[in-house]
Amino acid sequence: MMRVAVPIRMALWTVAGAVLVLLYGPLAVAMFFSFFKLRSNQVQWDSFSFEAYGKLPANENVIDALGNTLLVGSAAVAAALVLGTLLAFYYHGGRSRTREWLQLVIFLPFLMPPILTGLALLIFFRQIDFPRSLVTVVIGHTVFVLALVYRNVLARLQTLSRSLVEASLDLGASRWQTFRHVLLPNLATALLAAAILAFALSFDETLITLLVTGTKNTLPLWLWSMMRLGFTQDINALVTLILVATTALCLVAARYLTIPQAR
Amino acid sequence: MSGATGTGTPRVARLALTAVVWAPPGLFILLPLLMFLGQSFLRVQGTEVVYEPTLQNYIRFFTDPAFLPTFSSSVLLAIEVAAIAVLVAYPIAYLLAGLEGRAKYVMVFVFVIPLLMSYIIKIYAIRSLIGGNGFVNRILLFLGIIDTPWTFFSLNRNAVLLTLTLLLIPYAILPIFVALEKVPRNLLEASGDLGASSWQTFRAIILPLTLQGVVIGASFTFVLALGDFVTPQMVGGIEGFTFGRIIYSQFGYGNNWPFGAALSVILLAVVLVAIVVADRLGRSRFTT
Repeated sequence: MMRVAVPIRMALWTVAGAVLVLLYGPLAVAMFFSFFKLRSNQVQWDSFSFEAYGKLPANENVIDALGNTLLVGSAAVAAALVLGTLLAFYYHGGRSRTREWLQLVIFLPFLMPPILTGLALLIFFRQIDFPRSLVTVVIGHTVFVLALVYRNVLARLQTLSRSLVEASLDLGASRWQTFRHVLLPNLATALLAAAILAFALSFDETLITLLVTGTKNTLPLWLWSMMRLGFTQDINALVTLILVATTALCLVAARYLTIPQAR
Repeated sequence: MSGATGTGTPRVARLALTAVVWAPPGLFILLPLLMFLGQSFLRVQGTEVVYEPTLQNYIRFFTDPAFLPTFSSSVLLAIEVAAIAVLVAYPIAYLLAGLEGRAKYVMVFVFVIPLLMSYIIKIYAIRSLIGGNGFVNRILLFLGIIDTPWTFFSLNRNAVLLTLTLLLIPYAILPIFVALEKVPRNLLEASGDLGASSWQTFRAIILPLTLQGVVIGASFTFVLALGDFVTPQMVGGIEGFTFGRIIYSQFGYGNNWPFGAALSVILLAVVLVAIVVADRLGRSRFTT
């Protein structure tokens, strides 16, 4: 990119620095108070401990919500991977108006505000008399992350040379063998990156979940219900763990996402 | 598999495949949207939905003085969020695009990863910083800089504006960064060789070529800001009552689903307009 004069560059970095502080500051505060106690508005500097972390496994609500969140995330990611791959192959298989329309439908839940996706599903489930439960949450999350998987797989498919498939078929492999032994290995990293990002999105999904869930809480919903009371040290500890786990997962995903660019 | 629709495939098999791929998105995306559209033309009597087509929900929105002002102030708020987010995101994206090698991707990552960090926690943390009883106020009071808590950002519209902007800035940085990365380097060199100042090069080449990214970032932040109902509820108090909150309340204690659906259809219309405008702006004038 074009060089800019030093004073301007300094000004730009100041803006960037300020934004970073604003983006990470609140999270840092939450992390800080997972280790230290606050008494009558004074930080107790000698109160450093991992006590709050130790108490977490005994908190049934947390374990319950965490279990639900992991279950929903895994189910939604699995469904989205299968469906997204199928749809990407279909789109890649030729050109037609139907394909363009289908692609638009897939993208809709990603383009619309989540409240609309959530409400549409909410009304749909009531009309067909389908009780709200974790199943409806899984459907909501699948619909939400589908576009991400679809887009990732399609992008990878479009970079693969057609001669790869042709060579495989010429050599006598069946369509299934070609898919299993030629295409799938080439898609693996795209699928993995999509799976991780989709899982991270599902893990944190709040707006759709709030509308389509039954009586069971996922972690974001539980946190939301706790927020009215104010967060305790335990919650700050939980938050810290979640942030560390999410960051680590995204680092792994980023590794695989950048591979096509590096080639 | 990619050759499944080749000339040799019988027509029936092709139709079957089309049906199979359309079924899940059709059932869980398209059909719910259609039902939701249909619901907006119904009404409730007591607690029961009456299945007779009516326009009364839409008439109520346009005639009841409770709704239009909230609606327009929410649209304005979302525009402000989008504008601030893009203005702040541009210089950051510019800096990121100017970095080299590994540092570039690490820094992009640093700015984008907050998107995947818990949304509820971010809202809560921001609130605990800026609120009337928040840390910023406590520190300022402690240091004697102020005597009474600063309430500019406590439970009001400003708090919603600040929080939404902070939450959504990464969505603006990413498309602008991608657009900046696509600007051909030789154009910049040519411009410099021909004697243009860096400001002239920016104004005449970089900005027009990256406008599409700006527009995408703005429309993304606008759409998400307009549709959010949790953030305003958490940091907005009574003053920060937004359109998203009104919609949500129709499905909760308001318990008027058809009216809520009609309000959402209006939200959807605004979103569609924003997407179409963004598409036109980004595409027509500057790409050849």
